[in-house]
Amino acid sequence: MKKIHLVETILGIMAVDDQGNVIEKELFEKNSEEVAEKIYKLQQGEIIPELQQIAQKVKNVEEIVVEDESLAKALREMYQAKITVEKPSPIAQQIRAQIPDLAQKYNYAKSLQEYIQLTHQIATYLTRRKIRTAAEKRDQLIAQAIETIDDIDKTLNLFASRIREWYGLHFPELNKLIDEHRTYIRLVKELGLRKNYTRENLQKTGFPPERVKELEESAKTSMGANIAEEDIEPLQKFASITLKLYQLRKELEEYIDESMKETAPNIRGLVGSLLGARLISLAGSLEELARMPASTIQVLGAEKALFRALRTGARPPKHGVLFQYPAIHGSPRWQRGKIARAVAGKLAIAARIDAFSGEYMADELKAELEKRIEEIKKKYPKPPKRKKPEKVKKIKIRKKKKEKRKKKGK
Amino acid sequence: MSVKVESHEKFENIYWAVFKDTGERKLATKNLAPGHTVYGERLIKYEGEEYRLWDPYRSKLAAAILKGIKVIPIRTGDRILYLGAATGSTSSHCSDIVGSNGMVFCVEFSPRVLRELVGVAEHRRNMIPLLEDARFPWKYRMLVPQVDVIYQDVAQPEQAKILADNAEFFLKPNGWALLAIKARSVDVTAEPSEVYKKEIETLEKRNFEIKDVVHLEPFDKAHAFLVMQYKP
Repeated sequence: MKKIHLVETILGIMAVDDQGNVIEKELFEKNSEEVAEKIYKLQQGEIIPELQQIAQKVKNVEEIVVEDESLAKALREMYQAKITVEKPSPIAQQIRAQIPDLAQKYNYAKSLQEYIQLTHQIATYLTRRKIRTAAEKRDQLIAQAIETIDDIDKTLNLFASRIREWYGLHFPELNKLIDEHRTYIRLVKELGLRKNYTRENLQKTGFPPERVKELEESAKTSMGANIAEEDIEPLQKFASITLKLYQLRKELEEYIDESMKETAPNIRGLVGSLLGARLISLAGSLEELARMPASTIQVLGAEKALFRALRTGARPPKHGVLFQYPAIHGSPRWQRGKIARAVAGKLAIAARIDAFSGEYMADELKAELEKRIEEIKKKYPKPPKRKKPEKVKKIKIRKKKKEKRKKKGK
Repeated sequence: MSVKVESHEKFENIYWAVFKDTGERKLATKNLAPGHTVYGERLIKYEGEEYRLWDPYRSKLAAAILKGIKVIPIRTGDRILYLGAATGSTSSHCSDIVGSNGMVFCVEFSPRVLRELVGVAEHRRNMIPLLEDARFPWKYRMLVPQVDVIYQDVAQPEQAKILADNAEFFLKPNGWALLAIKARSVDVTAEPSEVYKKEIETLEKRNFEIKDVVHLEPFDKAHAFLVMQYKP
């Protein structure tokens, strides 16, 4: 016979009849931290003691109105009464209009100022707690680490070219002889002045005999300036710090690999830990990556090209950072898009398992993916014949896309 | 350098800082947390009060005022639901305007960004930080009472829908809404004016009366700012 509305507020829980009169109320104890905890539970759709107490106080209820499905679901398991959801409930709106007054009427707060302060405290506790939970997830650490690796790579390139230019004053020929930055920097650090490029010293650094000869020769006949020991010292110090950066980069890679084992084993198993970490960092978090459709994952990192395509009707990108997947960049151009699509599809599955359930299925996924890549390679061994893109056709494509987007309601 | 502060000719608790030597006029609000700045804005002392300069390149509300918007419905003691508060630059100025008896409920979805706002709110009791998704107003129904104004600046599609959903939960009848529409977050492919038109249609369908629209160039590209009254 009776219909009540359950209204949750920072003061406590109220049962309100159809006219908007509060029939029963269960106020929270005045402890901001505890209230915050209770509100947190309510937001997760959990039943708190106050909710049970109020349900016992109100007898002969046939219908209970709440404003949240997850709460309704929890209540349905406990009560016989019909539970309905109204979003929002007009009765609850009436109560929300009176909260600051009710706070004083129920002696919960003596003044408006006290009500404001209480709300402030409760919300701050709640928010701090949520920020902490969000920060505790390991995926954010992984994203930071991979971005640091990118920063280090940029720095290393910058430093390497600086060292090459600086050292080039003394030994310009070495620039062409050694392509790899790291080896070059090691030579600068360990040998320094040209006169130290002796057979003995060079053999110690591990070069094959014919290279040793070549290096020794060009050090002798170099057209670089002669410089003093004290002039090479600062450069050697710089080189030694740069080498340490290489070491740090390697350690970060290992760290990411370890963390990915724990946080996203399926993504790691499918595409490796570095590419996986990069995808998480681009998506923002593991959960966000898991919520993305495969088509979005496919072009993560190619946003600029994607939006250009949407805007102008140019051809959309086939892959974003996924390009780093060996089977994609190692394949002929016309197969890459198809392979990228297959990889993205499996990745979407892997990300969802990692984010929401957690069992290890990467081996199966990888086997399926490899089978599919095999199929693609067999089916499209030759490049397709080039069609000349006509201008009229481009406009047609654009219109189609727009209609599609409209249908989706975006 | 000498500065004079005078009240804005139309809007309550908003001021002009007039620089005597250059004749420049800059927006300002009275600092509710004297001695503290929020985003590196300049503080100005005048006749025993402290004012904070209000940067229109950082705050769309300031930009809208400079672009001559007709109504700013924020008054002393108002409660504001602020959706998309970010680090709290504009919301802190709202907090100045409503004063210590008003409240600004700052809803922000990104923990990283809200962390800054929690720090700002430590000195401002009328700012209430909430880590919530504005698309789901029922999630914060137990924390927010009925409000006088909703201010919305979110980078999400369906901006009009988000505003209307929140209004149904929290906005009092005849209350006001301020909306910064970022054309780019709604549909990257459409022309900005198309986007505004579509969003405005949705808003009117859902009981908003548009009172004024200004475009925020040159302070912000492809942004419009709307003032509306809610007539459910």
